Amino acid sequence: MITRHSLELALPGASIGAVAGAVAGGLTLFAGAPTGMAALSALALAVPLALFGGLYGVLLGHRVFRPGTFGPVGLYWMVAFPVSRLVQETLYGVGTADGVLPFLAYQAMVSLGFAIGFVWMHERLMPHWLIRRADDNPLAADLLAVYLRYARMIQARKGARK
Amino acid sequence: MDTSNTPPATATPPVEDGRVWKAGRLEPMPIRKLPDAPPSVHLLGPTVFLVALGVGMGESYMWPRLVLLFGPEIRWLFLVGVTLQAVVMLEMARYAMATGESIFTGAARVFKPLMWFFFIVAIAVYIWPGHLSAGAAALEQITGIPWMITAIAGLLLVGVVFTLAKVIYNLLENVLSLLIGALVLGTAIVAAMVGQWSDVVSTITGMFAIGYLPDEAMTAAWFPVIVGACAFAGPSGMQQMWYTLHLRDSGAGMGAHIPKVRGLRHAGEEEEMPNRGFMFDTEDPAEMAKWKGWRRWVTFDALLLFWGVTMLVTISFTVIAQSASRLNPGVREALLADDQEAALTAMSDAVSSAGSSVLGVVFLGFIALIGLNATLGLFDSFSRGQADMSFNFVPGAKKIGMSKLYAIFLWAVIAFGILILLFGPADGPASILDTLAFLSTFAMGAYCVTLLLVNNRMLPKPIRPRWWSNAIIGFGAVFYLGMLFYSMVAFGVVVG
Repeated sequence: MITRHSLELALPGASIGAVAGAVAGGLTLFAGAPTGMAALSALALAVPLALFGGLYGVLLGHRVFRPGTFGPVGLYWMVAFPVSRLVQETLYGVGTADGVLPFLAYQAMVSLGFAIGFVWMHERLMPHWLIRRADDNPLAADLLAVYLRYARMIQARKGARK
Repeated sequence: MDTSNTPPATATPPVEDGRVWKAGRLEPMPIRKLPDAPPSVHLLGPTVFLVALGVGMGESYMWPRLVLLFGPEIRWLFLVGVTLQAVVMLEMARYAMATGESIFTGAARVFKPLMWFFFIVAIAVYIWPGHLSAGAAALEQITGIPWMITAIAGLLLVGVVFTLAKVIYNLLENVLSLLIGALVLGTAIVAAMVGQWSDVVSTITGMFAIGYLPDEAMTAAWFPVIVGACAFAGPSGMQQMWYTLHLRDSGAGMGAHIPKVRGLRHAGEEEEMPNRGFMFDTEDPAEMAKWKGWRRWVTFDALLLFWGVTMLVTISFTVIAQSASRLNPGVREALLADDQEAALTAMSDAVSSAGSSVLGVVFLGFIALIGLNATLGLFDSFSRGQADMSFNFVPGAKKIGMSKLYAIFLWAVIAFGILILLFGPADGPASILDTLAFLSTFAMGAYCVTLLLVNNRMLPKPIRPRWWSNAIIGFGAVFYLGMLFYSMVAFGVVVG
């Protein structure tokens, strides 16, 4: 049961990761790459990104990360994103032209951008998912309470309007 | 603090203790409580608008173009431009959060004609639908639907959405957030796939080649282009001024005491809009502590969201352009000829033909997305700004109400846009964008001067800007106006 509760929290992050990977690959297909190759390449990026995205949600539920803060998420993706890209390039890519280290260094740089986009989207989606799951899932209810506390502060400010 | 016990001229809303802050010749601001700042550093704020507006053709086209032509060293000017804009953003926020007034009202407190100047510049610069046509042209490349149809449909859609929205700010923040999230995620992935370490190294080292200007850059053909690109680094033209309206509508700082703008359909539910802002008690240490919290909140927004996202998108697009020109020398030629459509198409083709995982369509998709973001943001901001100035300073406009004024300006700019698209100067999107650059740049120099006057004369001493902040804004005024006039005097050309 505990595992299921944790896993439920993974859904928004996993979806963002999967969609980000798959959309990129899917559009490659549209651009005229051979179908099978494009699909496999998309899958090879979407799966690791989804796994890491989901793991972020689980860790958030266990308070390893705090909602809405950027620093730790940036560090997390600085490792996770280059690994995901390495998996993709190793399986279905053209290979790393510069060698593995410069490749990883470059991906680590870009990952900060990915992290901003990820946490941005996650902050938008997670509260809606938590509201749906809070009744059956104590972990979700706890995390929702954190978001609600913040929302109440905002509400209190707006309520002060004359 | 210079407060007095004279009650304000109007009785609504009721004043808590009768004290007011006198700023300029307009009605004094009643003293109210400053609300608490958000508890933690939180990612989502009104900066979304500034990012949506700022990440435009400057980042996706003009700067990649300059880098290919002059080498990555030219990017130090971009670093200067965006960093300057981050400081401008903080100073715009200072006035808006301290008073709940827009910077336009601040300008009117200093000298009313200054505000009318911005009113006229906004109309001259922003009624042209150029920003929309660039994105729609990219969409035509993907779908085959003629760009004019997409552009007109987009205009109508924007109008309908903003008319039906109950509270415009919330809707726009949600939509833009998702669009920008998609843009940032997608750009990162595309850049991750097409770029190399060496591109980033050259792009980043180029940013610190401070003072570098190749001989060609100092010619009549290229200097104006560089001036234009500097002005387009980050939010350009009046976008920073509009940011003060978004801050107010999001309830940041004293903006919490001002009601929100609603869509026309819900205009009847509108609360009464006060005709001046409010001030907090800057001699109360508890209030000043809250003020510091607000400053931290907006500083985080300025650095991470605004500076970070703008840098990321530009670096990514530059990397994409560099890989494209390696693959297809035609890209460089198209850029040199300033054929924007040809250059974007060539970049997209090069990106597609790179083989395995590369994404020409995605590239064009992002250009379209940037166009859409800019349209949503610009139309809303323009109407908001003009409605704010009309409401406060055109006699009789208060009877119409803020939300109706907003709708009038919105539909006027949409109608004009459609007419121009159908019958106007049809030389293509790029030429429209170029003609805006002069007034845009001039307005930016002018708002730096306005900011210095407003923040140093209209705010109580304890919350005025520090000397270094004034120095940077002063440098901004010299930077924008100096380059603009140097270009005119030395080369006889305005910006390109």
